[in-house]
Order: sequence, then C-alpha cells, then structure tokens
Amino acid sequence: MRVALFTTCLAEALAPRALKATVLVLEHVGVRPELPTAQTCCGQPMLSNGLPADAAVLARRMAEIFAPYDAVVTPSGSCCSVVREKYAGLFDEGSADRAAVDALAAKTYELVEFLETKLKVDPTTLRGKSTPSAAPLTCHDACHLRGIHRHGSTAPFLAKSCCGDVRELPDMAQCCGFGGMFSTQFPEVSTALGEEKLAHVASTGASTLVASDTGCAAHLAGLAHRKGVPLRVISPAEALAESLGLLESKA
Amino acid sequence: VNPLIAPPLPFDMKPRAREAVRDLKLQQFVGNATHLKDTQRGGIFGRDFGSDYDDLRTVARDTKQYALDHLGELLERFIASAEASGAKVHAAATADEACAIALKIAREHTAESCVKSKSMVTEEIGLLPAFEAAGIQTLETDLGEFILQIDGDAPSHIVTPMIHKDRVATAKSFVRELGARYTEDPTELTMIAREHMRGLYRAADLGVSGANFLLADEGSAVICTNEGNFDLSVGGPPVHIVFVGVEKLIRGARDLAPFLKLLARSGTAQPLTVYTSFVRGPRRAGEHGGPKEVHFVLVDAGRVGVLASEKRDLLRCIRCGACLNACPVYRKVGGHSYGSMYAGPIGAVLTPELERAQGNASAGLANYPDLPRASSLCGACYEACPVKIDIPKFLMHDRARLRERGLSPKSEGATLALWRWLAERPALFRMAIGAVRLHARMLGQHEKTKDGERAWLKSAPGPGAGWTATRDLGIATGESFRDWFAQRDTKGGSR
Repeated sequence: MRVALFTTCLAEALAPRALKATVLVLEHVGVRPELPTAQTCCGQPMLSNGLPADAAVLARRMAEIFAPYDAVVTPSGSCCSVVREKYAGLFDEGSADRAAVDALAAKTYELVEFLETKLKVDPTTLRGKSTPSAAPLTCHDACHLRGIHRHGSTAPFLAKSCCGDVRELPDMAQCCGFGGMFSTQFPEVSTALGEEKLAHVASTGASTLVASDTGCAAHLAGLAHRKGVPLRVISPAEALAESLGLLESKA
Repeated sequence: VNPLIAPPLPFDMKPRAREAVRDLKLQQFVGNATHLKDTQRGGIFGRDFGSDYDDLRTVARDTKQYALDHLGELLERFIASAEASGAKVHAAATADEACAIALKIAREHTAESCVKSKSMVTEEIGLLPAFEAAGIQTLETDLGEFILQIDGDAPSHIVTPMIHKDRVATAKSFVRELGARYTEDPTELTMIAREHMRGLYRAADLGVSGANFLLADEGSAVICTNEGNFDLSVGGPPVHIVFVGVEKLIRGARDLAPFLKLLARSGTAQPLTVYTSFVRGPRRAGEHGGPKEVHFVLVDAGRVGVLASEKRDLLRCIRCGACLNACPVYRKVGGHSYGSMYAGPIGAVLTPELERAQGNASAGLANYPDLPRASSLCGACYEACPVKIDIPKFLMHDRARLRERGLSPKSEGATLALWRWLAERPALFRMAIGAVRLHARMLGQHEKTKDGERAWLKSAPGPGAGWTATRDLGIATGESFRDWFAQRDTKGGSR
C-alpha cells in the first residue's frame, strides 16, 4: 500500500512537529508514508469564503497529485473533511473531475481514523519504549470531524492507547470559535467561544490540550498565550508519538 | 415593527454581536438555556429512538420534501377540504395582502380587540403593528410573547422568544405594567399573567394564531403549544383567523406522526407539546364551543420564490429552534444580533432568501451581508436539524453569491486570490510559507517550549490583524517539516 502524507499548508506553516509526529506514528505501525512535494493547499479557504471556482482549481490539483497512492493521510481534521465531503459538490456528476475527486475522497483519512478504521490498529497495542506520561491531557475534536462521523472519537482512541490520563472535556461538542476566516471577521465572537473552551479545558485540570485541527490548535494556543494561560496545545499525532517514545517532549 | 427584528437596511450585524458578547446577562441566560435544551434534545432522542433517530429524520425530510414538491396539488386539496368544513380560505401573496385580509375580516365584525397565540408568520408580516394602527387592541397570549409585548421588546428565539430575559425582568415589568406585587416566583408570575388574560380572552372579538402544520386531506391546521393559550384564543372569540405559511402543508394526518415525534423533542426535549390542537371549520350545529367563523390565511410572502430556487430545502423547516440551541454563534450573540424574527443558523439563510424572493432580486443578501459570514461552519445546526436541512451548505452558497456581487471585503478576496495563485505554483508556495515563518522568526517574541522554540506574533498585517486583535499567533521556528523529511530520506535514517 502506497500511503501519501497530506501535510496541509497550515500545518507546514505553523505546526511542523505535528507532521513529524504523523510520520513517526505511521512508521511505528509499519507504514512508510511518502511526501508528494507538489502539494500545496486543498482550497478550503476559498471554498469556505465564496470562491468555489478557485477551490475547484486546487481540488483538481489535489486529485492529480495524490492519484498514484492507495491512501492519503493527514493530521488536520478540517482539510480532511473538505476533501471527503466538499470536493464532490464542486464538479458536475458524471464529469471526469468528479470521478477524480470522488476517488480521492474515498482514500483520504484523518490520522486517527486511518489507524483505527483502515489499519484496524488495536489502540491497546500502541505501547512504546517509555511508560505513558502521567501528565493529564484532554481532547477537543475539530467540528469538521462531524461530517466524517469521527467527532468525539479521538479521546477514546488516545485513552485506550498509551496516552495515560485522558480527561473528558466538558461540552466538547461546542465549536472552539476558530472557523477559518470567521476568526478574523468576527474576532469578538470567535474569542468568546475560545475563552469558553479554555475554561472547560482548565476545569479538567489537564495542562495539555490535544486538538485535532491545526487551525483550532493555533486559535486556542494563541488565545491562551495572549491571556497568559499556561497551556500546551498539540495534535493527536504528537500525543501518540510522545507516548510511544518516538518524539521528545522536554518536560 | 420593532427595529430589533426589523432594523434599517442594509443591516450591520457586527455592532450588535460585539455588544451581545459583552452583555453578561445575555451570555448567562442564552448560554445556559441553549446548552440545556441542546443536551436534553440529545438525551430524549437517544432514550426514545436510539439508532432509529436518523431514520426518523430521513422520513420527516422526505415527507416534507414530497409535500413541497406537490405543493400546488396539496393546496387545492386543502382548500377544498377546508371550505367543505365551512372555513374560509384566503391566499395572500405578500405580507401587506395578508394584513389587509385580516383587517377586512376585523372590519366586517367591527372587531376592537384580539387575542393572539404565538406565530412566527404574523411577526413576519407585521400583523400586530397593522392591528394597532387600525385601533384593534391585540393581546399576545403566549407568556413569553406577552412579556415582550408589554416591554416593547422583540422575540430573540423561534421557540423560546424571551430567552434573553429572566424572571427578575419579568417581575419588574409586571409591577410596572400590570400593577402587580413584586414576585420572582414563576408560578405566581404565571398566575398574574393568567388573571390579566382570562377576562380579555372572553371579551375579545377576534382570535388569531399561526399553525405548525396544515393537513391537506382534512383541511385542518395543527397547533402545538405548551400553555393552552391557543385553545383559549380559539374557544372564546366568535371569529378565528389562522395565519400560516404555505410551506406548512403536508398531505394529511397520515403524515403527521413523524413531525409530532420530532418537533417537541427537537425544540424543548418534550415527547409532545402539552397541547396538540387541531382546528377545522367553524362550530357546527349542536356544538357548544368554537368560533362561528374560521379563516385560513395562506401566506406566500416569498415562499413560492424560495420553492423555485436552489434553496427550496429551507422550506422544510418546522421552526423547532434546535439549530439555534446547537449553534455556538447564536449562543454568544443572541437572537437580536440577526436583525430578524428568524435568528440563528436557519435565520441566517432564511432571512435574506425570503427578502430576495419577495422583493427585487438584488436585495436579500445585499441587505444582510454579514449573516452568511457569521458562522464557523461547525455543522452543529445540520446535525441538530430534524428535517436534515444542510444549513452550512447554504451559508457557503451565500458566501459565494456575496463574493460574486462584490459584497464581501475586497482585501480578503485579493488575499484569497493570491493564495490560490501561489497554490498552483508549488515552489512559490513553499517560499511563501517560508516567508511567513521567517516573518515570525524576525518579528515574533521567541519562547523556548517543551516542543522546541516558538515565535509569537503580537500583531500581524492585513487580514491577520483580525487574528492578533485578540490572539497571538504562534509559529514553530525550528527546521521545516520538508527539510526534516528530506534529510531522513537521504540518510535512510530509521526509515
């Protein structure tokens, strides 16, 4: 099986560690991901902001670039859902483009989903060299995982694997307020939602938040930093890689 | 009509949203009530239907869609059955026509007073102001609507109109307007309203209501309430007028069950509303109660236009309010921020669409340019919708229309166009990502973390300014992912 890494532009710019962790976790379970270098942006910002024709140009590119692979894996929940759910609507049924993006959608996975549903990895077997970190963490799933029926599945997977003390996040289902450009168009509303999320995180006693989307993670980390709240925000890939002893965290 | 729900156009949502976010009472009242109802909704559906819930929604969606697809035929059948039962049926193409029909009926009976139960469509057509202008004293009999009426306030939620107020405000209003003694006890407050209303029900010349469903086979309307106020408003006065949007038609009682199962559970997490009332024709010989005349005013006011558009799915809406309760943005900004009697996710798509369908085609979105953008597209509304209206899809659709018509900020469009142009050129795109990271390295505040060094931007240029208004932007400064990956590849490393 040829597996391609779908890095997403936001993760390349903001969160290279999440991408490294994705590679390390995949290698740990015996998959050697390839990196198609021509990939850029999936078109989500254009699609969500009223430029479907521009998004279609990028969707077509994505389908071409990932055509040679059997599976496409990404650590970023929202970009994954765009490929899976939204690309089809950009092209007419029966067109070659539609067939191409449908084929891409059928083989694209968010990392934890890929481990759980495609590779059928038993999370309890994810044991590394080191003992699980005792530091408690809590988990917020990106709303976009709703569309691929994965909303709320990250925490149970992490809890069953080697991540130690995974605490339930109250009101996990409510959006963190990021929402792409919504965060800059309605900053007060976006921030108010972010603050509510941070308060829920604080109530768990966890000092590490696992967020399954690069944008949500940047929003919450940036808000915590501005407010002087000590909070570490990482991706599910990093949580797994750290617990497996594949990635260092200088605690 | 109250400017809270009928503001000057074009409507600017942002100042209201900003104010609402700072309003601690609103945050508490709306936040608590919506969270509670949303959680209870999930609970009751899980308990009563389990995994069949989705099938139930599919049935409801298809049933309502069938009715919309056969609207002409169902209308004819409804009119025939309603007239056979002795009711009078009127068609109103516009809001003004609907009001004119009501005023004509009122004049025929020299009506001076009216008792009205809760109805969104009457808010939409501005019936109350029309009645007031004609000297017809009108009493809102739904407790929430009554409190809003005496306060000169406006509804901010489809189902719980006074969600933004509390008992304390109600107690003060009752002292001020009704001369009641001060009490915050809900039962006592209800009794005060009840005493005030009972006499008015008996004296009223006219009863007015909306309807939740219209049954074509039976020629009757179904009205779901929790307070029994509809039954009083139809039982007392000699004349009753039902105002109803034409999209409320379904085939008949045979199709009603899935909607009754869904409506109250979705809205208030009740298995059924306390009252589920059916109105058919007027009082028949030998019957003791009921009005001597029943009128149905079937309101178009843009609906037929919506039916012909790509947004026809919106007409499936049964006004349960579940999407408002589930919406993170509604929870923060409250109903009045939407500048319409229809707030929340459904309002954000329905308000401009109804306006477009009734007026000139260039209005609509031009009058409400913020509504499609006031969403994080989180999808909670779609998940909560009992008739599966894909609201996020329509919000995205409207964002595209805004962009096409030059109604979105130009700078944002230019940034996105540049982004797309770069994204077609991988080498340049990588350089751009490198430039962002370099910018952060040069200008950011450096911090060593457990996970490597990070630079924090406190202020960013262009569209980034909206971000850094309230947040920092953290960017990892170490080796880029691609460099790391390439190096491992050449070394062979652990791969």
